Amino acid sequence: MSYFVQVVVDGLSNGAIYAALALAIVLVFRATGLVNFAQGGMAVAATFVAYALVRAGVPVLAALLAAVVAGFALGALLERGVMRHFERGEPDTAIVATIALLLLLTGGSAFFFGYEPHPFPSLFPNRTFEVLGVFVSLRSVGTIVVLLAVMAGLQLLFRSTKLGLAMRAVADNPESSALSALPVSRLLMVGWGLAAALGAIAGVLVAPQLFISPGMLDFVLVYALAAAILGGLDSPVGAVVAAAFIGVAESLAGAYVDIVGDDLKIAVPFLAVMVILVLRPQGLFGKKTTVRV
Amino acid sequence: MATASGTAPATAPATTAPRRRSPLVRLAALLGGLALAVVLVVAPLVSSPFINYQLSSIMVFAVALLGLNVVMGYTGQVSLGQSAFLGLGAYVTAYGVVQGWPLWLSLVLSAALPATVGMLVALAAARLRGLALAMITIALPIVGVPLARRLDEFTGGSQGQVVSFLRAPETTGLANDQWRYYVVTVIAVVVFVLVRNLVRGRVGRSFAVVKENEAVALSMGVSPYRTKVLAFTIASLLGGLAGFMYLAVVQYTSPETLVFATSINLVAAMVIGGSASIVGTVLGALYYVLVPVVAGQVSSSRTALISGAVLLAVLFVLPAGLASLPRRVGGRLRRRTPAAEGAPATPDPDGTAPAVPTPAAASTDRR
Repeated sequence: MSYFVQVVVDGLSNGAIYAALALAIVLVFRATGLVNFAQGGMAVAATFVAYALVRAGVPVLAALLAAVVAGFALGALLERGVMRHFERGEPDTAIVATIALLLLLTGGSAFFFGYEPHPFPSLFPNRTFEVLGVFVSLRSVGTIVVLLAVMAGLQLLFRSTKLGLAMRAVADNPESSALSALPVSRLLMVGWGLAAALGAIAGVLVAPQLFISPGMLDFVLVYALAAAILGGLDSPVGAVVAAAFIGVAESLAGAYVDIVGDDLKIAVPFLAVMVILVLRPQGLFGKKTTVRV
Repeated sequence: MATASGTAPATAPATTAPRRRSPLVRLAALLGGLALAVVLVVAPLVSSPFINYQLSSIMVFAVALLGLNVVMGYTGQVSLGQSAFLGLGAYVTAYGVVQGWPLWLSLVLSAALPATVGMLVALAAARLRGLALAMITIALPIVGVPLARRLDEFTGGSQGQVVSFLRAPETTGLANDQWRYYVVTVIAVVVFVLVRNLVRGRVGRSFAVVKENEAVALSMGVSPYRTKVLAFTIASLLGGLAGFMYLAVVQYTSPETLVFATSINLVAAMVIGGSASIVGTVLGALYYVLVPVVAGQVSSSRTALISGAVLLAVLFVLPAGLASLPRRVGGRLRRRTPAAEGAPATPDPDGTAPAVPTPAAASTDRR
């Protein structure tokens, strides 16, 4: 029983990381209608900023904040400088453009820091504690708590601030928003910036576990994409629920199903995605859309 | 055959009436094609094994890219899993070599098995729209790598599988690298001729209309679902065949063959070369093989940086890829003539377009 709870908590903590990146993907998708395959690459680049600062002697928490700021700036910059060009064009071209960004960011990170993984200090002490006879790691719980707080903050931003309202309006209908004198292009930049900042948090939280390297988030991005699609791509709640589900499901499958094991547990989210999408192509929480000719 | 390929319009799905070209242009195309054929045949005889290895690799990845182009360039469905089929084809071939199967059986199975897998995946995934399909195709290399490690009875696990096959027959007097070059070149040329005919015919037009607008396709009696499954199956078949060629050239395969990064680089090379273009596919293969060779001598992270930068530059200024460069330049120059608007789009690439299929005809005649 105790092992079971431990596995579930570890799964939830991984799920929280996937959820952060999945939320970033959903944020970008809602604002600009495209899926950003460079979301992981952007997060890694921001995490490397934190890494450089930590190596220079800055405390981890300050480095995290710096990474968030750097991530926001990077996201806004890339939206304005590159993605703006592709936003209303062919979606396939836009996907390839984000792949170009992924190549650039990965190459850039490798250029400065090399491909080999480096250790990264954890925000939380590496300890386990006991609750009702069950041992859980402080890091797992800390990760979950931080990301829950971030999600609550985002919810607050979107539901009860003017900026959030304006961003929702732009996501919903850019033309009408422009006619209502909203600064659409600046709001899109903010949307990309927020998404990248979210990725930076995920990157710094997961770096101690994965060790930081340019390809660190490749797998996490795949999980996040699975979660975002499973949740319906335009539903933040759906993405978080799906990410938690994926995290726990793969953790349980890896621990209890012998054929799956630790190496093949990445197949679990895909099987889930395949099955669910074939039964329900709009995702669990997505809205069904009709296409007009 | 050379003239037949010369008259086919370069933008076949869009144009219907056959164009007339001056005999001079036709002659130039024929001569260019012949010259390329001669180069293809003579090159390995006068080059070092290293050069032959690179030339053979270009053939391998040209076929893999051609498959990717069928599904992504011609049919407009993003596929991020081409490396998985490349790896599967290589593993099937390696298994056949280890088991002592006849070569033709390995060749057939290296294409048939990936095609079957691709079709099964597409039957489920083609119901979904663009992004979800991209997502499912990502899964193939991501799941494929640990799977290849796990199934070490068949794959040799993480160490991979070293094989030794396709040695040059004594009677030819060729070295192994030269013989293997000729084998993969023949396969590549045959595949290019077949696919070129496919995409310029009825099937190619159904690809184009599905890419353009699925609802329109449906109203014209073209099933987008079936068309997508077909395109994806062809792509995986060609990927598997490229895997056979890969093993023939490299004589070694491991889980590294199917990593996700390879898929990403293939997509980049395809777009850089030119999507929905046969010439573009060849240019993409040249790019894919040569840039790492050049950039790798500086440092390996340069390859990713260069690829990303070139890809972005192409997307910004040359969305149809390097293959459209002569057309763009030609269009600029001829803008003043009255018929310039659509017409210059075709004559220019024709100088280069038949250059690929024509040697095909020439070199198959030789055999």
